[in-house]
Amino acid sequence: MKALLSRDSLLKWAPVLVLLVLMLTFPIFEMLNDLARGKEHLYLLDSRFLSVRNFARIAIAAAPALMVALGVTFIIIMGSIDLSMEGTVSVSAVSFAYAFIALGGTLASWAWLAMPLALVVGAAIGMLNGLVHVKLKIPSFMASLAMGFVGTGFALLLTGGERVRVDDPIFRSLLTVRWFNFPIMIYVAGAFLLLMWFVQTRTTLGRNFYAVGGGEELAAASGLNVSRVRILGFTLAGVCYAMGGLLAVGKIGIAETVTGANFMFVSITAVVVGGTALWGGIGGVFNTLIGVLIVFVINNGMVVIGLPSYIQSAVLGALVILAVVLSTDRKAISFVK
Amino acid sequence: MNFERLNAHFPWITLVVLFLLVGLANPAFFNPVGLLALAGDVVPLFIMALGMTFAIYIGGIDLSVQQVANLVTVVATVFLVKLGIGVALVCILAGALVGALSGLVTTKFYVPSFVSTLAMGFVVLSGAKWLSNQRALHMNAEAREASFGWMFDTTLGLPNELIIAVLLLALCWFLQTRTTFGRALKAVGAGELAAVASGINVDRIKIMAFALCGALAAISGLMFSVKLSGGDANLANGFLLLAIVAVLVGGTPLTGGVGGVLNTAVGTLIVMVIRAAMVFLEVDATHQQMIFGIVLIVAIALTIDRSKLKIVK
Repeated sequence: MKALLSRDSLLKWAPVLVLLVLMLTFPIFEMLNDLARGKEHLYLLDSRFLSVRNFARIAIAAAPALMVALGVTFIIIMGSIDLSMEGTVSVSAVSFAYAFIALGGTLASWAWLAMPLALVVGAAIGMLNGLVHVKLKIPSFMASLAMGFVGTGFALLLTGGERVRVDDPIFRSLLTVRWFNFPIMIYVAGAFLLLMWFVQTRTTLGRNFYAVGGGEELAAASGLNVSRVRILGFTLAGVCYAMGGLLAVGKIGIAETVTGANFMFVSITAVVVGGTALWGGIGGVFNTLIGVLIVFVINNGMVVIGLPSYIQSAVLGALVILAVVLSTDRKAISFVK
Repeated sequence: MNFERLNAHFPWITLVVLFLLVGLANPAFFNPVGLLALAGDVVPLFIMALGMTFAIYIGGIDLSVQQVANLVTVVATVFLVKLGIGVALVCILAGALVGALSGLVTTKFYVPSFVSTLAMGFVVLSGAKWLSNQRALHMNAEAREASFGWMFDTTLGLPNELIIAVLLLALCWFLQTRTTFGRALKAVGAGELAAVASGINVDRIKIMAFALCGALAAISGLMFSVKLSGGDANLANGFLLLAIVAVLVGGTPLTGGVGGVLNTAVGTLIVMVIRAAMVFLEVDATHQQMIFGIVLIVAIALTIDRSKLKIVK
């Protein structure tokens, strides 16, 4: 029991606690709302927020962002940052849509090849990003910032500003067909999460991310090819962004230049709220899952309890600060930038 | 000549070379009237980048500036009729307050400025949405003319908004190079632990730097709002990344302590010339952003000073 309540485990589980508190708080507001209107309401049991239907809604909204956030998780664990995700998501989504239509326009044909193609496109952009960062010795912040412009610009070049519709019923079954109340895309996202968890915990590459983030000079001194790890990390992130692009197209059936818009702040916020520190070396994919859920539970919960939508971002902002304060061991750091 | 000594001069050399190249390709670019108009258009971005310089100079970053500018466009539009030109003061104070809060959260709670300012941006966005009822607002034309019409006049042939930008640059340059505050900023950026050890109240300096950044973001938002004659919680979106780019391309690295406000002036002009070049060289509109990104990578790769970077994160 003592070990459970130690400061370390508290720090580790703080994001989960925040998520649980949020999920128990929204039903309270719901109950108060209903009671004030004279309706009967049993706490938790009559909750519209804590219903399978609503969880499916949250999961659908969160799935593409989770993919993107998983990618940037590895980058942040390495102590770098990636701001190029919006461009990569758009380019992968748009190339998928064009290839899909050109190859037949239905999953029952060779058009399924468009999906691996999109992942390859994402990997290529990610690798280019990593190469610019490592080979030209440009800090990842600047390199990825500029690559983000290139990505969004390339997506615009491909589409010319047009929207590309992907309305093949088999592809759209990602959203429309449900197993146990959840659409297929949720299972796809879950499988991808497990795959990334495998990469993080069971592969040399995954451990090397932590080595680079924990102390780059030490890692290099012990014979690790840091440049290679970095480039591979950005390539892997590119694959994750492409996955996010695919799910985003699966969700709305449209690929366009702005498919990737807003993913940058949402994904970085989610990673940080989940407890992965910006200075690298700690955190992981499950932290990111919790972080993404916190962000989307807030968005959804505020709507369910009928709060005006403009408050959402303020609550999110306050929680971001709270989450970081809770997960920071202040004795261990002398200053922050 | 020593290569490292040359490093500090790369940004303005890049600017001059770019400027001449574009002008040689299309002499119409050298038309002074057109250049003044271009410079006028870039003023709000420049002022935001000017503020961002202080945040980056101390080794931090401010991601809330875009939202501060958004909020200010709404505040200015809503209160212009009631307060007249006094609305400027309200806006600047609001911006400084937001910046100071970010600084407070960063220094007292040990939240990295990347996160604290991102979060503060979310909070400010809520304020802007609330005040604007999530609608695009239009400025009262008479009040705008009476209070801010002078911004679009010219003095000695120079547009007044450009004069404001130059005055602010002079003020910031004075703060940075001729005051103890400026010295302290450099000390904090170059080596925070050494600054603490030598008795500088680092927390106070940081809070002041972020407040200054917020105030300048507010001025930028105010000018943008007057220019477009309206306010909206999304009006200034797209400014943040460009402001960061202007600071970085000018030669103030994210690690802090080097560069400064004059560098940012050069950086903003580089951004301006690259953007204008696309128009003068008749680059297709759908190609422009991609080319902007590529030119940016080349410019950064050529100009950043790597001598102080042991590890490239």
